[in-house]
Amino acid sequence: MLAIETNKLTKKFKEKTAVNEINLKINEGELFALLGTNGAGKTTTIKMLSTLILPTEGEIKILGLDIVKDRQKIKEILNVSPQETAIAPNLSVKENLEFMAGVYQIPKKEEKIDELVKLFKLEEVLKQKAKTLSGGWQRKVSIAIALINDPKILFLDEPTLGLDVIARKELWNVIEKLKGKITIILTTHYMEEAESLSDRIGIMAKGNLVDVGTAEELIKRADTKNFEDAFVKIATGGEL
Amino acid sequence: MRILNFAKRNFKEIIRDPLSIIFSVLLPLFLLFIFKQINIPNESYELQNFTPGIVVFGFSFITLFTAMLVSKDRTSSLLIRLGISPMKPIEYILGYMLSIIPLILIQNLLFFILAIVLGLSFSINIIWAILISIVIAILFITIGIILGSLFSEKASSGISSIVIQLVCFTSGMYFPRELLGDVFSKICEYLPFESCVTIIKGIMNANLESITIRNIVVFSIYTILALVISIVVFKKKMISDNK
Repeated sequence: MLAIETNKLTKKFKEKTAVNEINLKINEGELFALLGTNGAGKTTTIKMLSTLILPTEGEIKILGLDIVKDRQKIKEILNVSPQETAIAPNLSVKENLEFMAGVYQIPKKEEKIDELVKLFKLEEVLKQKAKTLSGGWQRKVSIAIALINDPKILFLDEPTLGLDVIARKELWNVIEKLKGKITIILTTHYMEEAESLSDRIGIMAKGNLVDVGTAEELIKRADTKNFEDAFVKIATGGEL
Repeated sequence: MRILNFAKRNFKEIIRDPLSIIFSVLLPLFLLFIFKQINIPNESYELQNFTPGIVVFGFSFITLFTAMLVSKDRTSSLLIRLGISPMKPIEYILGYMLSIIPLILIQNLLFFILAIVLGLSFSINIIWAILISIVIAILFITIGIILGSLFSEKASSGISSIVIQLVCFTSGMYFPRELLGDVFSKICEYLPFESCVTIIKGIMNANLESITIRNIVVFSIYTILALVISIVVFKKKMISDNK
């Protein structure tokens, strides 16, 4: 079954077309990376797929459910870790997890929280206020919170942006652990992140989805030596 | 349950950032104390008249406080996360309201305790006045939600201070509105703040005849309008903020 299917998905903000007639198919359990330059339309696409904003035109099916008609049902089965760290600053890490467990009405919330604490190794910061955590810890907590409702689909919007190499590697390990268990849609600016983590990669430029494939397929089609060159060639239409 | 969960989180955020609470409680308490000491020979400043004014004045800080809480939430990505969750706009509004009610109770208790210490006679009507003031506070909370939804944290605190000034000048807490001339007096009649003070004062002093139908109608219309507008504006802004 397809986790996500879009048909001519379009978003316009007044005259500006942010996303233009995207047709996308993402399989269940797949880790799909959306790459693009700034303003390519990645975040707008994620916002539409995650029910945050409605498309101007086109269709979105999430596990066979329609994004407009079945909006409430869809909200129960997906989650997101937004670009900026989305945590309540004055609450501790534990309280943040409890709060979001309450939002999703998780029946055995203590068990679920314990599971996430172990998975993300949050024991040492559990009682610490979220605003006092380092950037790397905040991202980890943000992703942990996004897993509170056992989502079938998880959106990670630039999860490692601004992190140092070690914090980034740690987060990669966490994402690797989730791979295959749930469908993950990841947006990133880091080529090596997309290449090493994802099953397939979609490249966006100026609101269009210009190519989709595995890293090897994209390198081959662009006829380049490495993935970064392939991305530049595909995203710029060969101008660079 | 989601409402209670959201209210619990808001309450924790509020009490862990106590500067605004201190301000919203201490300034009205100071005014109540100082005006009693000055002993101004005007019936507006007698405790049975001035205390209800102080209660409503305290609520204007609740507007400021709510506006800042909502605007701060809007600028953080937390509302993106919540926007994707199954929470509905009415659950946010009720969650914000519930979280602020304990603060209103603390305010009222301290205002009335000080008023009693300063010479106000205790009666069961004070309890009724505290209860009815929770209903009155809904107006001030919803105005705060509207301002917090429309403006940034800095702008909403500035604009909320207009509400504080309006309460001072149009509620009749410092001087009878008739002193301001016919036109201004008429405007005060159709703004909700004088009605708020009159309702609390009437209940506190067991003088229900002083509460007119106009007071009840004006207060009710403003409160219902503010509640509806707060839900619509919050929902609309939540979508537009995320574009």
